[in-house]
Amino acid sequence: MNKLITILASCCIATSVWASEAKLETVKVGLDVPTVERGVGVMMDSCHSCHSMKYIKYRDLVTFGIDKQKVDAWRGDQPLDATLLAQMSDSDAMAAYGKAPPDLSLMAKARDGGASYVYSYLLGYYVKPDGMPGNHLYPETKMPDILGMSGATDAAQRTEIQSKARDIVSFLAWAADPEEQERHRLGYYVLAYLFVLTFLLYLVKNQIWARLK
Amino acid sequence: MPNRIIKWIDHRFPLTSFVKHELTGYPTPRNLSYLWNFGFLAGFVLMLQVATGIFLAMHYKADIALSFDSIQHIMRNVNYGWLLRYMHSTGASAFFLVIYIHMARTLYYGSFRAPRELLWWTGQGLLLLLMATAFMGYLLPWGQMSFWGATVITNLFQATPFYGDQVVIWLRGDYTVGDATLSRFFALHYLFPFLIIGAVVIHLVALHSVKSSNPSGIDLAAKDNIPFHPYFTAKDFYGLGIFLIVFSVFVFFMPNSLIEPANNIPANPMQTPKHIVPEWYFLPFYAILRSVPNMVGGVVAMGLSVMLFAFMPFLDRSRTPGGGRYRPVYRIQFYLFLLVILVLGWVGYVPPTDLTIIIGQVATLLYFGSFFFVPFISKAEERWLMKRGLPAEVTALIESETLEIAKRKLNPRRRKGEVA
Amino acid sequence: MGEETLDDGNRRNFLIKLTSVVGGAGVAATCVPFVASMNPSSDVLAKAETEVDLSNIPPGGMHTVAWQGKPVFILHRTPEQIAASAASNGGLDPQPDGKRVKNPEWLVVVGVCTHMGCVPNKEGPGWECHCHGSQYDDSGRVIRGPAPKNLEVPPYHFVAENKLVIGKA
Repeated sequence: MNKLITILASCCIATSVWASEAKLETVKVGLDVPTVERGVGVMMDSCHSCHSMKYIKYRDLVTFGIDKQKVDAWRGDQPLDATLLAQMSDSDAMAAYGKAPPDLSLMAKARDGGASYVYSYLLGYYVKPDGMPGNHLYPETKMPDILGMSGATDAAQRTEIQSKARDIVSFLAWAADPEEQERHRLGYYVLAYLFVLTFLLYLVKNQIWARLK
Repeated sequence: MPNRIIKWIDHRFPLTSFVKHELTGYPTPRNLSYLWNFGFLAGFVLMLQVATGIFLAMHYKADIALSFDSIQHIMRNVNYGWLLRYMHSTGASAFFLVIYIHMARTLYYGSFRAPRELLWWTGQGLLLLLMATAFMGYLLPWGQMSFWGATVITNLFQATPFYGDQVVIWLRGDYTVGDATLSRFFALHYLFPFLIIGAVVIHLVALHSVKSSNPSGIDLAAKDNIPFHPYFTAKDFYGLGIFLIVFSVFVFFMPNSLIEPANNIPANPMQTPKHIVPEWYFLPFYAILRSVPNMVGGVVAMGLSVMLFAFMPFLDRSRTPGGGRYRPVYRIQFYLFLLVILVLGWVGYVPPTDLTIIIGQVATLLYFGSFFFVPFISKAEERWLMKRGLPAEVTALIESETLEIAKRKLNPRRRKGEVA
Repeated sequence: MGEETLDDGNRRNFLIKLTSVVGGAGVAATCVPFVASMNPSSDVLAKAETEVDLSNIPPGGMHTVAWQGKPVFILHRTPEQIAASAASNGGLDPQPDGKRVKNPEWLVVVGVCTHMGCVPNKEGPGWECHCHGSQYDDSGRVIRGPAPKNLEVPPYHFVAENKLVIGKA
């Protein structure tokens, strides 16, 4: 039995070593309205020109609780039911970067590490010895260092960029799984109910089996 | 009034007697442990998958241009669509978990032995149907893992003698996994559960003919059987409660832990993800496939690794009752086998390196070795146990039950062939 | 087999009854998401309101817009049409024109014949349904059968002078 545990444990360690090949900075996303609202703002300023979010509609932002006036400013004359399509077409992006920028609706779920991956990626920019910007996490990236991490020198600047990145990632996490809070809320009720029911079933089972003795 | 209706039906159809003999009054050994709950749980999960599946199909679109979007439509727009989908995706894993425990119990207690071979083989058929259904269902979201999983698995049929390439193209209806493949997988994914239900009926008919096995491995005399209802209905429902708690934790709090991140990227036939892995329930078999250097050999080995279980009734030559319970060597073999499966699962999960390939090959040899050595070990163990003498507890049990059996033999109404 | 008869009605005690009720409530609650999933999804519900720009409909012209997937006729009525509609009370289903419009210049009606659900065509003054020959006037009131009722007026409101939203009164 001890042997078994040792082997299992070593398997787990080996797996986790492989998973963290590139070190991720873990981030705790905030799914509260102010954080997500700031995240949408940064997204609209910095990402939206190239990246689409085709499963998110402006209406979803309003439903979530984001200030309608801000949403109206972002959407311009597009209807409320328009999705957050990129301002740049895929073909233009291909011409500029040689690669179409991915849709971001599911990005926080589409990479190993989830939101932490995106966070670490955004903060992973640095200046290579040859003076070009590079990225620790994803060296082949074609995306410019949009938050200016590679140029940030003093600590205050870096902290500001980090909190900006966290806002974006929080918005992306919400966008990838907008039902998460509703799911958790319902989940607690369901579990509470099931505990009661299972306890009753346990009593019934005991009562019935007691007839055998 | 209800009585009159039942009477009216009974006059034309054996309703009451069927319920009495096969459901409520079905004689069940009183010593069944909670490990005997898993057949009932498998039936429950089957119903859950059918129900959620039918409602998901009302919103799903089997078209490569639409299917990924339609899943997002279900997740974001359909009322409780996320709940239905997470129940269905978690249900697939739950189904395999429940079935694997059901099988492990059968192996441990030797429940597959005479006269329950047909019961075991219909179960083996059910496992194959379940695997096919799960595999086809996995293509439907049309994510990267869906696409490349289906590509790899359909490519396995290249191992078909002489017609390999044609068979693969025939299966896909296209040169790669494409729209034709998606449509047919959807059609079959909807059909197969009903075949499974049919096979479950056969499985249950077989069960009710030979009756349930029990942890002692000795068929109990009538005095130690109790009616299924209310004893085992109560026990099964209690087990169901526990199951639902675990299931709900996954559905509500960690549903994405069972969905590969890459499956949130739409299928791209031009680019394979860096690391493709099958769902956890296929990992050991996938590891066996990868461990054999030759392609055809790998496919054959993988097929055998699933099918070998069917030979267990012939491979196990010991006549000692009770499987792992009264057979120390068999018990050790069983746990080693589980360990080998876990190691294979791990090897199937990690990207192949020189070390994991060697570990995988050793584990593959041990996997097949476990089956190969069963006849010799079981016979040797039987001799050793006979010489040493069975534990007093077993002898007492056999004696008390055989006495009962002898008495019953005088009773002409007793069914034949029930006790060996 | 046990000799005793079990669970035969009068031996059902309180605990079993309670558990059955709790379990039954759970089964009923489980049905809710299944049934609800068949109701219109949120993107369909979002279509429950349609915004219409009236600025490019000339007097006498008609636009058809989709609202909840149904055609809605928006008729920019000329003074003559308004006068003609106000003069009568319709035919088979009498109703004054004033009750059918918010602004007499604009008639907004659901373009679905109240007989069998065909879409009537604009022909001469009013509409004619080609399926079974019902006729409606320029206020959408039925003047010849077999249709039993006037064309339905959907809930709508003006958000600006020439912008209206159908779906909410």
